[in-house]
Amino acid sequence: MVFINEKMNKESRLKATINQRLTELGERERLKELLRAKLTECGWKDQMKAHCKEVIREKGLEHVTVEDLVVEITPKGRALVPDSVKKELLQRIRAFLAQHAA
Amino acid sequence: MKMEDMPLSGPDNTKLEALVNDIYSELVEDACLGLCFEVHRAVKQGYFFLDETDQESMKEFEIVDQPGVDIFGQVYNQWKNKECECPNCKRLIAASRFAPHLEKCLGMGRNSSRIANRRLASNNNTSKSESDQEDNDDLNDNDWSYGAEKRAKKRKSDKSQNSPRRSKTLKHKNGFSPFQYNYNAGINYEMLGPDEVRSFLTTQCGVISEHTKKMCTRSQRCPQHTDEQRMAVRVFLLGPSAPVLPEADSVAGPESFDIPDGQALMSRLQWEDSPEISPSDSASSKASEEKSGSPFPIKLRMDKEPISVSLTGTNHSDSRRPKKKKRPPLGLNSGGGIGSLSGGGGGGGGGGSQTNISLSTKKKKPKLTAPSISSIYDDLN
Repeated sequence: MVFINEKMNKESRLKATINQRLTELGERERLKELLRAKLTECGWKDQMKAHCKEVIREKGLEHVTVEDLVVEITPKGRALVPDSVKKELLQRIRAFLAQHAA
Repeated sequence: MKMEDMPLSGPDNTKLEALVNDIYSELVEDACLGLCFEVHRAVKQGYFFLDETDQESMKEFEIVDQPGVDIFGQVYNQWKNKECECPNCKRLIAASRFAPHLEKCLGMGRNSSRIANRRLASNNNTSKSESDQEDNDDLNDNDWSYGAEKRAKKRKSDKSQNSPRRSKTLKHKNGFSPFQYNYNAGINYEMLGPDEVRSFLTTQCGVISEHTKKMCTRSQRCPQHTDEQRMAVRVFLLGPSAPVLPEADSVAGPESFDIPDGQALMSRLQWEDSPEISPSDSASSKASEEKSGSPFPIKLRMDKEPISVSLTGTNHSDSRRPKKKKRPPLGLNSGGGIGSLSGGGGGGGGGGSQTNISLSTKKKKPKLTAPSISSIYDDLN
């Protein structure tokens, strides 16, 4: 158990470190912006907005909450990200890790 | 805390990949959340549905996706081949040329008067006038509909001289049309006969450029050349016996008396050497009825070839250099002293320098007589 915990700790430590690195070097912000731009460019954002409209009409304009939207939108959003965008982002993250973590 | 102890081997690789995916998922979720907040705020603030109106308008302004048409449904180049009827001349004009045509047709644009004047001038000059075609207007307008536009293009050279948009070319209006003109507006003296040379030299500078062997076509006072050069050119072209500057021969007589006075005046005006000059004035002035005491003997000579003097006589360039002064030997010589009027360096002979002076004096006449006039009245009063 201890051994597994250690391993887990190592992993989580690694993860924490990497996250910290990402933020420190500003890479996280850059990746966020890049993703947002790409999603808008490829029409993902408009698609999601249309979906939002449906949800809102369904739930009623006055009573929509953030939670409603999140619950409805996020899974669909994740699924609708185009492959090219996904691949590019993964590539960039890997490159970052290779440069700063290995 | 370096990660060298975590090499990219098999199992770790998957871990790294998992890590990468985790990071990616975080980023995507972040984006989704951002969108949710944005939409929610728009809904609560009431601007989420602003881009939607009633169904009817939505249909009307829907995006069009047909070939040959833009997304608004408009056709490109719709007016390209249309023709409009001019309300003035009742002709059919191509749409893109309609506005310039109206300008000229109504006589209201910037160039319309210019072109009309030029057309009148060329009509007067040329024997074969353009009126044997149906309409002068036709020729100078490029406003044909498409079929006949080619004819109008022949006249482009006519049109190109008058519009302010065209490049400047030197125009020569002294009737020298038989001579060959180059774009640089120079003239080959070899092309001219002696009479033509003479008449040319009476009005133009005529100095022959070293590089191009052409004569300068600027005025007699062109700043690029000195009077010496002009004299030299005249000697060269017309022979030393007749160094010609305009009107020299015809008015040589009275000029010889006038000049010293003129110069006297000039020297007076410039240096205020009045005591020096007045005796010579009285001695030499033939036409002046008043005696020398008056400071401006010139005043009465106004009815003759009036002399307004360029002091330096021969060199205009000199006169523009304020430092250089020519001493009164110019002024103190009466008639016989023409030969010694070499102050300006007009080496071409007394006659030459004399005539040079007379020419230059004539040019300056308007400026100098004005002050003298006012002073006359002062004296009388």
